[in-house]
This record gives sequence, C-alpha cells and structure tokens, in this order.
Amino acid sequence: MSWLSRLRNAANSARLDRELREEMESHIENRAEALMGAGMSPEDAAREARKRMGNQLLYRESSREARLFPWLESLLQDVRFGSRMLRKSAGITMAAVLALGLAIGACTAAFSLIDALLLRPLPVTHPERLVALSYPSVMAGRPDGDSFSYPVFQRFRDASASVAYLFAVNYGPGRQVASFGGSEEENARMSWISGEAFGVLGIPPAQGRTLNAGDSQRRNPVAMLGYSFWQSRFGASPDVLGRWMTWNGRRFQIVGVTQKGFYGLDPGFLTDVWLPIENVARDAKDLANPEVYFLGVWGELKPGATPERLRQVLQPVFAGARMELRRSFERDGIPPAEMPRILNAGIKVESAKNGHANIVRLQFQHPLWILSIVAGLVLLIACSNLANLFVARADAREKEMAMRAAVGAGRARLMQQMLIECGLIAAAACAVGLAFAQTAAPALVDRLMPSTMPAYLDLQLNARVFLFVALAGLAATLVFGAIPALRASFASPDAALKSGGRSSARTRALRPLIAAQVGFSFVVLFVSGLLLVSFRNLMNVDLGFTKQGVILFGLDGRRLDDAGANRTAILTTLERIRQQPGVQAASMSNIELVAGPFAPLIRPMMRMPGQAGTERGPFYLKVAPGFFNTMQIRTLGGRDFTAADLAADASSVIVNQAFARKYFPDGDPLGRRFDRGDDNGWAPQQIVGVVADAKYNSLRETPSPTVYEPLRYVGGARLAVRTAESPAAIGPLLRQAVTQTNPAVRVSMMELESKKIENGILPERLLALLAGFFVLVAAALAAVGLYGVLSYLVVRQTKEIGIRMALGAQRGAVARMVLTDMALMIALGSALGLAAGLALARYVESMLFEVRPSDWTSAALPLAALAAIAVLAALGPLTRALRVDPGTALRCD
Amino acid sequence: MARQDSLQGSLPVMVLKILGRRGPLHGYGITAQIESMSKDVLRVEEGSLYPALHRMEEAGWIKARWVTTENKRRARLYEITAAGRKQLEDEEVRWKLVTAAVGQVLQRA
Repeated sequence: MSWLSRLRNAANSARLDRELREEMESHIENRAEALMGAGMSPEDAAREARKRMGNQLLYRESSREARLFPWLESLLQDVRFGSRMLRKSAGITMAAVLALGLAIGACTAAFSLIDALLLRPLPVTHPERLVALSYPSVMAGRPDGDSFSYPVFQRFRDASASVAYLFAVNYGPGRQVASFGGSEEENARMSWISGEAFGVLGIPPAQGRTLNAGDSQRRNPVAMLGYSFWQSRFGASPDVLGRWMTWNGRRFQIVGVTQKGFYGLDPGFLTDVWLPIENVARDAKDLANPEVYFLGVWGELKPGATPERLRQVLQPVFAGARMELRRSFERDGIPPAEMPRILNAGIKVESAKNGHANIVRLQFQHPLWILSIVAGLVLLIACSNLANLFVARADAREKEMAMRAAVGAGRARLMQQMLIECGLIAAAACAVGLAFAQTAAPALVDRLMPSTMPAYLDLQLNARVFLFVALAGLAATLVFGAIPALRASFASPDAALKSGGRSSARTRALRPLIAAQVGFSFVVLFVSGLLLVSFRNLMNVDLGFTKQGVILFGLDGRRLDDAGANRTAILTTLERIRQQPGVQAASMSNIELVAGPFAPLIRPMMRMPGQAGTERGPFYLKVAPGFFNTMQIRTLGGRDFTAADLAADASSVIVNQAFARKYFPDGDPLGRRFDRGDDNGWAPQQIVGVVADAKYNSLRETPSPTVYEPLRYVGGARLAVRTAESPAAIGPLLRQAVTQTNPAVRVSMMELESKKIENGILPERLLALLAGFFVLVAAALAAVGLYGVLSYLVVRQTKEIGIRMALGAQRGAVARMVLTDMALMIALGSALGLAAGLALARYVESMLFEVRPSDWTSAALPLAALAAIAVLAALGPLTRALRVDPGTALRCD
Repeated sequence: MARQDSLQGSLPVMVLKILGRRGPLHGYGITAQIESMSKDVLRVEEGSLYPALHRMEEAGWIKARWVTTENKRRARLYEITAAGRKQLEDEEVRWKLVTAAVGQVLQRA
C-alpha cells in the first residue's frame, strides 16, 4: 500500500469510526425506547436492544471496509496503471517532468528568496509582538525615515513603559575593521543595540551572558559575538570569553555569544559583533544631540497591547520632538509651505514580525514580486504545454477510454485516471523543482550581493517552502490536467466501435491551448525584454565621469581638532597618496558620486544677486583639489580648486553645465557671483570654473544643476584614488599611507567606484539576470510545445492531406492548410499577450530605464522571437506533411 | 425465524423499496418498517443492516446526511437516489421472475 493511501486512511478513519459508532448507538437507543414503550423495564430494554444489534464491532469493521476500500482500491489501481502508462512513453514523460520541474523550480527559487527576505518571522521568542517605528520623510517623495536621536528614544521609552518594552538598534555601521587579540585587522559586521534588548527579545546566550541594561553604564565596554562569527572566526572555542577586541581605538571585552540561529533583526544581514549602543555613541557626543538621528526604535508589545495603543502614546512625544527640530528644518532649507506637513506628520508603529524596512528589503521587495509573477507565467507556459501533450495523448488513448466507458467505468473514474497521471508527473516535477531551487536560490544570492554587503539569507527548506511546492504542483495538476480529464470524461462507449473520423473536432480543442501558450510566452518575452533593455541602458548610461579604475576609501577624521588640522590633513594626505607608486590621481569628496538613494544630499538655499529668492538651490558636493582630474570629468573653463580655496573665507565654487544653462543662459558664468544660504546665514559664492555634467546621485537622473565647493573638513569623506592596480594589491599600502600621514584619520572601508555603482542597481541586475533565464526557459517551452502540437496535427490530418494530394492539391496549398490555423492562433495569442504585457508593464515601470513599453520595438522583438520559434517548430512537421504519400495515407486507418 | 444469511441478498431491495416509498429514514426507522411490514417474520440481526446500507451508499443507490432530530439527537438519514430507483426497478423485475420461477418449480415438482 502506498504512503498516500495510508495517509488518507489514517486521516479519515478516526472520523469514520466515530460516525459509525454514533449511528449504531442511536439505533440502540431508539430500539430500547420502543421496547420500554411495550412495557419492558429500562435495564431489560437496554440489554435486549444490544442483543438484537448483534456483534457491533464486526459490523463496524465491515462498514469501514465498505466505505474506505472501494475508493482506495480504485486510487491504487489508477496509480499503478498510470505509472505504467507513463513508463510506456518514458521519453515524453521525462521531458514533461523536466519542463514542469524547471518551471516549478524557478517559482520555488523565487519564493524561497521572498520567504527568507520578507515572510519569515524574525528569530526571536515573540516575533508577532515586535513593532518598529518610522515616520514620513522630511523630504517629500523619499522613503520613510526610521532613524531617531537618542534623546527622543529615551522619551519614547519613558512614555510607553506601560504598553511596550522599547529598545534601540543601530541599523549597522556595517563592515568595520577591528582586531581580536592579534595585530592584524579584520572585517566584522557590527550592530549596536540597547543592552536590555536581548532580555526583551528572549535571546539566550550560547556562551557566557547576553548584553544587559547594566552594560550601558559600564566604564569598561563589553561586546557580544554572533554565533556564526564565533564558529568561523574562533572555531567555537569557549575560551573566547574574556578576550579583548579593539575597534575604533577602544577595547571591548567579549562577554558572550548569541544563541544559534539569531542573525539579528535584519533579514539579509548577519551581525558578527554586538555592542551596547550607549557605550559606542557616548564618545562621539552623539548621544545627547537631538539632531543626530542614528537609531532605529523597536519594541515588544506587552501582552494585550496593540500597535495602535502604542502609537497613541508615542504621537504626542513625536510631535513635540518635531516641533523642537523646526529650526533645524528651516536651516535645511525646507520651504515654509511644507512645514505643516512635516510638523503634523504622524509616527508609524508597524509590525516588525518579519523584520522592518531596510535597504535590502526596500530594494528587493518590488523586484522579487515582479520576479514571482514572471516565474508564475513560466509555470503557466509549462502547464499549457503539458495540457497540449496530454490532450494529444488522451486522443491517442481515445479507444482505451471508450472501451473502459463501455465496460462500465463512470465519468468520475475516467477523470480520476487522467488527473492521477497528471498528478504523478507533477509530483516528480516537484521533486525536480525542489532540487533545482535548492541550488539556484543560493547561487542567485551569491551572484547578486557584493562582497562588501554580503547577504545572509537562510535559504534552507522549511514548511512554507514545501507547502508552496506542494501547492504549485497541485495547481499545475489541476491546470494542465483539467482539460484532458474533462475530455476523457466525455468518452462515449460507441466511439470504441467506430474508428477515425471527428478529427476536426479534436484539433479544434487544441486551438485555445496554442493561443494560451503563445500568449503566456509573449508576456514573459515582452516583460523580460523590457527589463533586459533597461539594464543594458543603465550599464551603458553616460555618467560624465569614468567609473573604472577608481578605488574609494571611507575616511573617518572626526577626531581632527579644528579647521586648520582638517585642512592640513586633507592636503598632506592627498600629497602622500599621489606619491605612492601606481597612483595616477587622487582626491576627496564628502560623498562619492552616484551614492544612491540613502546618501545624505546637500541642498542649501540659493539667491541670485539682486533677488530675494529663498528657493531651494542646486545640489552641492564638497570636493578637494584634483577631483575632476581624478574622476575624469571634463573641465570646460576656468580652473580647479587650489590649496588656497580651502581657507574658510574663500568663496570659490565650480559649477556644472546644467547650472550654467539654468542660471546664466546668456553669457559666461565664469567670475559671476551668487549667495548660498544655510544655518550660518548667507555666504557669497564666486564661480571660478565650469565642468561638464556628471551623474550626481543616481544613474536615472537627468543632469541637474550642481555646485562643487571645496572640502574643508575630513569628517566621513571619501578618498578617491585612480589607479591601474587592483584594490587587493594597492589597498593595504594606501590605507597605511593615510594613517601614517595623520594618525587621527582612519580608513573605515574600501570599495571600487565601479562596483559601488553596480551595487546601486542590484535590483535591476537581479531582474535582468532572471529575465534572461526566463526568456530562455519560455522560448524553449514554447518551441517544444508548438512542435508537439504541430506534429500531432499533421498526424491527425494525414488522411485528409493524402486525399487532397491525391486529388491534385499543390504543396503550397497543403502547407497553407497546416500552417494557417497555427498562424492565426499565434497572432491571437500574441495579441492577448500584448494586452496582458502592457497591463503588467505598468507594474514594472519603476524598474525601467530609457525604454517604454509602448515603443513599437518593445512589442516587435518578442513577436519576432515568437515567429522565429514558431517557424523552427513548424519545420519538422511541415516537411513530414509535404512528404505524405497519398497511397499510404489512404490505406492507413 | 429466518436466519440472517439467507436474507442478505434480499435486504438491499427491501431497503430500496422502503426508502422509495417512505422517503428519508434513519437506520432504526428502516428496521422498524421491515419488521412491521413483514409482520416480524423477517427479523434480522439489526447490526447487519449497517454494512449493507454503507455498501449501497458507496454504490450510489442511496445517499446519506446527518440531521438533528426534534429530540436533539443526531441521526443519519438515508434517501434513495436516481441510480437507486433504477436499481430497484431492475431488482423488482428480477425478484418477480425468480420467485415466480421458484414457485413454479415448487408447485410442479
């Protein structure tokens, strides 16, 4: 007996048994009442009623058999017969299993990514009670903000003590350089968190102890290691406890290791080292400053509390904090008209059960859903493909079905037979799909994520993924099994006695299937084509600078004392770096070009001479001398910055072409003046140079007016070095050179500018990569499907073709007869596909770049591809049709 | 009194006939009907009715549903189906032929 039937049996049998018992008991009661009515005593009546019933157990058993076995038996029979039929045509079965398996695998891979990133609950004790706070961004149109200052966090915590346990977490200074005992420096991913968070979240230590509330007050800072870091770096050695870690010039003592499986609160990120937030931030004087937003605020609701209740408690605190920041908003150049929107903004309390919005999630959420839609379409193509195959096969088995109907098989039974055969294929395909997804999903993640931002996604199989695969398999069975099953159910006994005939009715049934298949394929090719072209456009977009060969170093010069020290540090560091062998050019900027949507932008107010305007001006970028040379941005006139421009009172700025066009449409901008406004009031600016346009923040932007001003403070600036050497070869040398020049300046990270830009379009890359894959799969499935259907049609029409040719039909006429129908169906399918594709394109529009779904090329390419596929698929069957020998055709049945 | 074995063959046709005439009945109701109509001659071991009912249900001749009776008891009501009526017709014809034939043999032998 197969496991399936045993399962069904077990699931059914308890209920069945209860029902049988209940039915018989009620009979006995009725009988006893009747006997009592006839004058028997209750005891006698009960005894007599039971006696008349006879051996209940025996009858129950025999009833059970009556009700369970016929179904089980027929099922088993069909499974056995079905697998025999499938084995008989092993080649076709294998092809079907592979095609469907590939499609199910693609869907599963997409789903397991979505699951790991978006659906899986965080690894804490009560994920359902977790909430995270966020608010509408001060800048309209930007993503919601979720960073708070420490004072605001404290006020939140005090106000909500009765509703929730709040804690703060820093969304990661990310990769940091630290040393663990030895002299060498290593990379470790750090997170800062309130000490009490581990207690709130219910995360026990695997070794030592967790951080706790007391740690924030300690003079000697402590650290906790993540489990996998402990395993990979320290070989899970327990004597790691008590060791010291040096980071940022401070020593932290390791007191514990987190529980296995707790990667942190950000799906996609794995934390190596946890530090208490207060300890880390106190140095930087960030803790008391209400204008330094660097904390995410999370909370665990107390039992019975709702997010809404927490929101009500926090809203007044949030509104108060915003009101206090009004001045700083004004300084940032927020126009008065926007002020009410900002000041009246509401705090958002959202469930953080599966994690909260972070960069990875924000970036990949949309692409992953697009991806799953496309994967679903590929699954539909595979299904319509198999439906074709099965209709054709069912036809070949028409006699068998009719014979079975003739000897008394019911419709339901014939349908069951077909569905079981489809189900067997789907089950095998599910296994193939799972295996495929298991290798494909991790490979995808590795391929996509940059080494500086390695994604940690737990892609192991879990119940949800299994359930998904099972549902996909079931859905596939119903979709591709329904039509053949319905047709099998119409098998009429008398057909068994006839032969041939009715071929046109049969072939007509295939038409909607061809159209559907072509339609689905068209949508996949159409949408994938849009994504591929977009990606190519993005990769080839003119940046205005040369991204290749530039290494970026993140600097930390916050410990430099005053303006003079900063100025010296900038100039001496650059001089030293430029002397290093292999360095062609070097400069600095406050942030690298094309830093992406989460980079801080400088956009002060601007005033032209003689005007009162307080409108927001162009974007600013602070650069050191030599920046345009290093990035290879063309200088169109004037000069570059010099050391003298770094003086605090120097007013020189360099502008780009877009600026010159907008503000000085007539005449030379060189030497012209304007004012910039910020919290220090208005400052005069004089244009000393004009450079060509370059992308400022994103690849998608059109060049906007940009002002380059001298970089005067190191702060968190980027050092850009143009070199032909690889980062691995020259990186450590340059890093050393920076610290040797000035011990107060540290290097926090190193990255290639080209890599950084590519990382900025990871979602597009993901989509392009998969779109390419899906195009191939869809094309292959379409070709196989069309070939199968055409071959079948030719076989069905052999007799007709033979007659026509015997009557003198030309080859052209025969070809037309074979092809017209299919050409019509392809045209119809493409039209439907185009309509669906255009509807779907609106959903992917935000991912597109310099390509419009309504462009005629967008539709022409997939159409041409489908036509080519159809021609290829038609070649074989067509030659066979033209070779039909009238004599043979007429003689055959 | 008749032994139940000899009745097994005729039980389905009796059940079908009763359900066809009287409408939905539960198991005890069917037993009571058979008893009263056969004047207690055809008394079977009452439990044997149920496997028979369930086999007929699987065959599609009757269908069953659970109801709650007026005295708040749950009961399983059986009802004849179209297939059951057709089966009943066939069986009645066959039964009449067989009994007639057996009668003739008994008379003439």
